[in-house]
Amino acid sequence: MASITLKNIKKTYEDGVTVIDNLNLDIKDKEFIILVGPSGCGKSTTLRMIAGLEEITDGDLLIGDRVVNTVSPKDRDIAMVFQSYALYPHMSVYNNMAFGLKNRKVPKDEIDKKVRTAAKMLDIEDYLHRKPRALSGGQRQRVALGRAMVREPAVFLLDEPLSNLDAKLRTEMRSRISMLHKELKTTFVYVTHDQTEAMTMGDRIVVMKDGVVQQFDTPQVLYNHPQNVFVAGFIGSPQMNLIDAVIKKNNDSFYADFSGFNINLPKRMSKYLSEYENKKVIFGIRPENMSISNGNSENTIKLHIEIAEMTGADYFLYGNLGDKKIIANVSSNQNIESEKDYFLKLDIDRIHIFDKINERLICD
Amino acid sequence: MNNRKISNAFSFSFLLILSIIFLFPIYLVFVNSFKSKFNIIGEPFTFPNSDTFVGFENYLNGIESSGLISAFIRTLIITVGSVLAIVIFTSMTAWYLVRVKSKMNKVIYYLFIFSMIVPFQMVMFTMTSICAKLGLNSVIGIIPVYLGFGSGLSVFMFSGFVKGLPREIEEAAMIDGCSPLKSFFYVVFPILKPTAITVAILNAMWIWNDFLLPYLLLGSGNKTLSVAIQLAMQGAYGAIDWGGFMAMLVLSIIPIIIFYLLCQKYIIKGVIDGAVKG
Amino acid sequence: MEKSLKKYFPVFVLPTFISFVIVFLIPFVLGIYLSFTEFTTVESARWVGVENYIKAFTQDDNFLNALWFTVKFTIVSVITINVSAFGLALILTKALRGTSFFRTVFFMPNLIGGIVLGYIWNLLINSILGIFGYDITYDADYGFWGLVFLLNWQLIGYMMVIYIAGLQNIPNELNEAALIDGASSFSILRNIKIPMVMPSVTICLFLTLTNSFKLFDQNLALTGGAPARETSMLALDIYNTFYGRIGWQGVGQAKAVVFFIIVAIIAFVQLKITGRKEVEH
Repeated sequence: MASITLKNIKKTYEDGVTVIDNLNLDIKDKEFIILVGPSGCGKSTTLRMIAGLEEITDGDLLIGDRVVNTVSPKDRDIAMVFQSYALYPHMSVYNNMAFGLKNRKVPKDEIDKKVRTAAKMLDIEDYLHRKPRALSGGQRQRVALGRAMVREPAVFLLDEPLSNLDAKLRTEMRSRISMLHKELKTTFVYVTHDQTEAMTMGDRIVVMKDGVVQQFDTPQVLYNHPQNVFVAGFIGSPQMNLIDAVIKKNNDSFYADFSGFNINLPKRMSKYLSEYENKKVIFGIRPENMSISNGNSENTIKLHIEIAEMTGADYFLYGNLGDKKIIANVSSNQNIESEKDYFLKLDIDRIHIFDKINERLICD
Repeated sequence: MNNRKISNAFSFSFLLILSIIFLFPIYLVFVNSFKSKFNIIGEPFTFPNSDTFVGFENYLNGIESSGLISAFIRTLIITVGSVLAIVIFTSMTAWYLVRVKSKMNKVIYYLFIFSMIVPFQMVMFTMTSICAKLGLNSVIGIIPVYLGFGSGLSVFMFSGFVKGLPREIEEAAMIDGCSPLKSFFYVVFPILKPTAITVAILNAMWIWNDFLLPYLLLGSGNKTLSVAIQLAMQGAYGAIDWGGFMAMLVLSIIPIIIFYLLCQKYIIKGVIDGAVKG
Repeated sequence: MEKSLKKYFPVFVLPTFISFVIVFLIPFVLGIYLSFTEFTTVESARWVGVENYIKAFTQDDNFLNALWFTVKFTIVSVITINVSAFGLALILTKALRGTSFFRTVFFMPNLIGGIVLGYIWNLLINSILGIFGYDITYDADYGFWGLVFLLNWQLIGYMMVIYIAGLQNIPNELNEAALIDGASSFSILRNIKIPMVMPSVTICLFLTLTNSFKLFDQNLALTGGAPARETSMLALDIYNTFYGRIGWQGVGQAKAVVFFIIVAIIAFVQLKITGRKEVEH
């Protein structure tokens, strides 16, 4: 049983640089939590503080009910999978997995049982006596997972474990790790910079930037209700179109004005928008919330399509609105050609309006 | 035959002749070690014949008069002991200095590096008198002295390797329940093994052959091989037993050549690595 | 992690560092101090200022002789050893038969200690000169060239091995590209091989320079400085001043300091100059 609680965590390096300031997270027992963000956002540092590999400058870190700030990594009941796998090169796969148990004086036959069970789950039984250098990247990855599994830790920490694998293997390992989480029933904390990994695997996702949590919620909420411009742009692929616009008022309804187009905004937004009249905002719409329209009707923009990419079920359309690049993702049931103008209808129920200055969500 | 073949044949013959020239000095010592001592100075280039051949008489004389066997054992103890101490302690030091960044550690590291360019004569007199006072002038006592003199190059070489070692492996060991010492000896040191072999070879070559340091610290009471050979010549003043002396030279070369032929691959690799990183 | 390591300083660093301080650091500092004193033992030192340095250069011809002899010897040895070693490396990288045998033979003398080497060559040179009724102590030139031959014999194989490693590191595509560009084999040597082995050249020059300049054992065994200290190199001259002239220990120490400064300057300048010529990889 292990929840993880971070209270006002601060991390300052010896050179005086503060990478994390006042970080608060409540991770429930058995949750699969993803820390995601661009490089340098502090996600790895956070994970390493949970592991005990980095010192905590200030604040409290609890695993379960125990404050573990000064507890050494080996006594935190955690296991970690490293990006480079960090397998012991001079030990066989078997010994790599058994090493942690041997250090804890677990009886030999018990070690053997645990190693073989884990190896079976991960399909590495045939390589137990090989050295890591005789394994492929995917196999090494599984050994690294196995090494963590045999320890039966209360918390599983994974630091970008898939980033050294090729795309196909990565997809396979993604589902393998998700399944592992279901079987092991322990808390997983997983660091990645890849939003697809985050969206497909996490129960909840922590989006970080510059050492600050931007949003901590389920994948659905992050996708549908991003709390700021950063999360809106980071989650979802291809990313949300974010266009500068001005809020205007016509009688008692509001519309967004950009590049000569007027988009009527739904009534439910009115109460949030009154103070933004004639002010600049950021208008956000995901590529998949646009569709081809046959003529210039309401809430439609005209776009010169420079490239139309057919992927099978969909088209990705690339065009320019002023100096802003626009991407639309539309169904391929009609033929679309590059270098032509099309009308795109925006689904106004799926738009997001952000404050231009503090980039926070106004309404969606 | 084309041009290339001719040039290759030419190169081959040239190398063959050069090899003979290279081996000739050793051959000369070897041949003369079987000749009567009266026939060495006058006719060094002749092959021993029934008149001049004395069998192993020179060897028996040489071993007896110079205490060569005990010198050999002493040299072996000193070399093995010092090399072990150097490999174990300097690898630990290098790892620590790389992993723990602090001003003091940086200073210590650069002191080690600095010591590599200081000639032995600079510290010869003062070192000898300090070590004599501390009782380091014995076969076992000289081992920490070699550790001190060997630390510059060895710390430097180990540091170079540790710098390229991912920290994550040690972190994994830490999470797996290792103390720093255990993590060093169970995880880091096995990975350092190639460098450890290089360091061991370079130091063994130096210590086995070293003359001045054991001469000053151990003197004639605890002769090493090099000291025994020098003293046999220096102490004789004209009444040199050339036969016995030749035998001593041969006996001191043979173990090195056997060692070389057995571990040639490691020695040459070690010397290249040592040079490239040193 | 670093913080928890800090308390392990005594275990990891002290054994090495204490030995280092005792046999090197304290003697080094004390040595500099003693070079400004007159002493017979470390305790009996009496401050005399720079007198020892003045004595070393004005009242002792041996020192300047030894310096000059060492410089000449170093220049000749460095050139002959490196040219021969590089030449042999070029031949041995041509994939001939017997390459590994030749490499084994040429490298072997390097493993033999300086004292033994010295006496082996003492026998050989005296045997040859004996035919004409001379020996190596007859003329300082014999000693000089004897030392040059000896050090060549010892170090050619060593340097050759380093040059071979450097030459084998050159990607073959580079030679092939040059051949396609119409380069002659001399032009490949000049424009590709030599620039690409500059790191090896740096190393070999450094090793031969310091080995030649600091030569002691071989010098002691081959000539012992004879005739009349004319073939004493710096290290041997310093040794003789310390242990051969009572009351001159201070001068010996002053000479040692000068010796150290020269070696340090050579090491520094040489690494600066050749370091610049290396091709960046």
